[in-house]
Amino acid sequence: MVDALAVAKEILGKLKPRFTDVAVRVELIDSVMVKLWNSEPSITQSWIETRVGLYLTKDGKVFVTEVSLPNVGSVEDLARRVEKVVSALEPSEFYAPLPEPQTYTPLEGIYDPNVVKAMDDPGRYVELMVDAALAEGVDRVAGTLVLGREFIGLATSTGFEGSEEGTEVEAYLRSFKGEFSGHWAYGSRRLDEQAIKEVGRRSGYYATLASSKASFTPGKYDVVLSPLVVGNLANTVMFMASAMAAAVGMSMFMKFKPGDRIGSEHVTIADAPRDPLLAGSRSFDDEGVPTYDKAVIEKGVFKTLLHSTGTAAKMGAKSTGNAGWLMPHAWNIHVSPGEFASEEELISELGDGIVITNNWYTRMQNYVEGIFSTVSRDAAFLVRNGEIVGYLTRIRLADKLPNLLRGWVAATRDTYLIKWWEVETPTKAPYVLVRNVNLTKPTI
Amino acid sequence: MAKADEGLISRAVDYALSLGASYAEARYQRDVTDEVVLRNGRVVGAGSNVREGVGVRLLVKGSLGFAATNNLTWEGLKEAVDKAFARARSAARLRKEPIVFSEERLGRVTYEVVVKEPLENLDAESMIRYGREVSEAIMSSATKVKVPAVMIEASTNVEEKLIINSDGAVVRSLIPRVAVFANFVLVDPQKGTLQRMIEKGGSGGAELPKEWRLADEVRDEVRRLENVLLNAVEPPKEAVDVVVGSEVVGLLVHESAGHPMEADRILGREAAQAGESFVKPDMIGKFRIGTELATVIEDPTIPGSAGYYLFDDEGVPARPRYLYKEGIINEPLHNRHTAKIFGTKSNAAARAMDYASEPIVRMSNTYLKPGDMSFEELIEDVRLGVFIRSYMEWNIDDARWNQRYVGLEAYMIRNGELAEPVRNPVLEITTKGFYSSIVGVDRNLRFYLGLCGKGEPAQGVPVWFGGPDVRLSKIKLGVIA
Repeated sequence: MVDALAVAKEILGKLKPRFTDVAVRVELIDSVMVKLWNSEPSITQSWIETRVGLYLTKDGKVFVTEVSLPNVGSVEDLARRVEKVVSALEPSEFYAPLPEPQTYTPLEGIYDPNVVKAMDDPGRYVELMVDAALAEGVDRVAGTLVLGREFIGLATSTGFEGSEEGTEVEAYLRSFKGEFSGHWAYGSRRLDEQAIKEVGRRSGYYATLASSKASFTPGKYDVVLSPLVVGNLANTVMFMASAMAAAVGMSMFMKFKPGDRIGSEHVTIADAPRDPLLAGSRSFDDEGVPTYDKAVIEKGVFKTLLHSTGTAAKMGAKSTGNAGWLMPHAWNIHVSPGEFASEEELISELGDGIVITNNWYTRMQNYVEGIFSTVSRDAAFLVRNGEIVGYLTRIRLADKLPNLLRGWVAATRDTYLIKWWEVETPTKAPYVLVRNVNLTKPTI
Repeated sequence: MAKADEGLISRAVDYALSLGASYAEARYQRDVTDEVVLRNGRVVGAGSNVREGVGVRLLVKGSLGFAATNNLTWEGLKEAVDKAFARARSAARLRKEPIVFSEERLGRVTYEVVVKEPLENLDAESMIRYGREVSEAIMSSATKVKVPAVMIEASTNVEEKLIINSDGAVVRSLIPRVAVFANFVLVDPQKGTLQRMIEKGGSGGAELPKEWRLADEVRDEVRRLENVLLNAVEPPKEAVDVVVGSEVVGLLVHESAGHPMEADRILGREAAQAGESFVKPDMIGKFRIGTELATVIEDPTIPGSAGYYLFDDEGVPARPRYLYKEGIINEPLHNRHTAKIFGTKSNAAARAMDYASEPIVRMSNTYLKPGDMSFEELIEDVRLGVFIRSYMEWNIDDARWNQRYVGLEAYMIRNGELAEPVRNPVLEITTKGFYSSIVGVDRNLRFYLGLCGKGEPAQGVPVWFGGPDVRLSKIKLGVIA
């Protein structure tokens, strides 16, 4: 691979004389995905890309762009076009000068050479995952395995220079047994054969755990949510924790201020850029601010929004190292574990209720109030006296996020590394027990 | 037209064949998106996104490979072909049956959207002016409640493609699009908050935003929503006739007719992420899903639409498809791969989001067939009912059967006339439940913009969905807990 930082610096050199602030982020991507359908590959996809992101300001006016540059020489053409657009803008209320460069501590252990070695023949790892599912007795599987590496270079007009190379593994599998299905997902920086097998095993386990159907009546239930569901809901909460989401009316945090209690003492949800195992890890943000781990909700108390320099200046806060030039965002998400030794113990604690192992389509009626619903997919189980008694098909969790955070009473000690379609920001999460949750289903 | 080097793209196809591929295609695609973002009428920033590159797809030993690069030199394309070929060949040993495409007559054609006014006229300055006008219309129209946040995003997009494949397709296209997104929140200290998101979009030029008259539309809508926030009542507890407005109908047919009729879902190719379908191959042409008023059409050729195209990304000529016809499951959406499996012809549903995405079965513009009565006629004999005009929350399960739409602007219907507003009525219904309950459709066909998500990695493509206002018989509505 060429040196991403060298490319970033060369582009910076051409743009710096023409703008007040310039940040150049160059990402070199090399990745492969094997997609599975009916237990065999449907397509093998590869990407070899250079992505150039630019943050440019003049007199407080802000312009952000991502471009495919055929060569660095074409930057000047781009600059001329951008200058014309910028002249039409007005100073942004979210503008703040780029920060002076600070020293950052590079993350260790985010590059695994075994991932790169496996990229030209991922079939072996695909087989491991599929075989582990089939060994559980399932009929067929579908899923993907992604292996990739990314080299990021960032250079800013205030003198920050940083680069980082990392690898990524993302694996998820859905197993089918008759009309039942199970699903598991995994995301990490490292190639871990055991973890990939575990994706297959767990998806197969859930597809075969119950042999009969059960039914439920809509109403309030105590529920155990799997790390996939917790990860999806934590992604929703962390999207809302972006200071820009709060500024534009797409956040329940509009109604709260730091220090407000919004959940039970068992709830801690944190941004974790320094976790080298999760693929979103970064040691500096897109403004060159060193990243650090921080709770957004700590023991039920709202601690902070996620800020860039610009949103922080507007809201009287400090950057939290989460730029995102216009939209600050979480890098990785940690949901804190609890005291229960296993999923089974947590289900025993549940007593009577429902276990939801996977969900999708989380949509909001109102971000400010946190009113939402989401639909279960794959295994959901009816539990009586702490025992699974049957398989439930497709139930809907329809409630308010603050209610869920207040009803969050327990979690497992073990946490799981999750990334897939519905858990876009890599997340480490436990199984969680939530009391008194509203569940619905169609009447006709 | 496209800046693609046709010689280079052809060379990539020839090179793939020379390696031993039985089929090869190379698709150059350049998407340029420019946008401005405003908050409470003030500019937050402007942005642009240029995605330009080539996606190569090939078949080797019955195994499908794809590689994308934005290095547009011969070396870059060669590397992409080499990787697609080597990795597909390596995966071939895991396949039981070879992948084969249907035989098709493919296009050798150049086409573009003819605009009334050049898209260049919609520069940053005019988009900002437009965004300010809409923001001001929202903020000034609420007289009894506060408006703490208004966000506007206005964008233009130009999509250029050159598709060449080894079966003879050479398709060049140029499609400009415009879109506007608005989000606003209304607050009353006693009644709480109400949130609304609006999207407008289509293919065309700088004339589109003027034709939408969005500022006038939101002025009226904010006044109506103010009434909803302050005065809405709970929906009736008993089953009543429900008139579902075209905005909700459009989304509903996209979710419950369009998606389940994608042949790749029916076959399970998208099972892991996007899900499967309640539709099974033996239901096609036989299974009754609704009343005779349930006809859902999918048509990429609608002029001005967001999902407009005349040839799909495999070079197959586009045409309207009748997904559900007079209540019967009729024709799935196909690409060349699924068509071969079904023993039929492709109906041109292969679309890719950008150069870095494989073409997969996608919707374009999906709508419920309208009737000939007016809205007044549709509701005139409803003694007690509810009209749901707009929505916010919705979702549907991965088999496309169990779905929920939560109304935002809704009214009681009393003795054939709209009456007091209703708060957040919940329509939670199965696909068959909905289509089997249709007892009337009016003539007011309207289309709405959507960004449809599917694929691994996820691809978002612009679509329209629409329909008339639809009357359902005896539906029990829910409430938000």
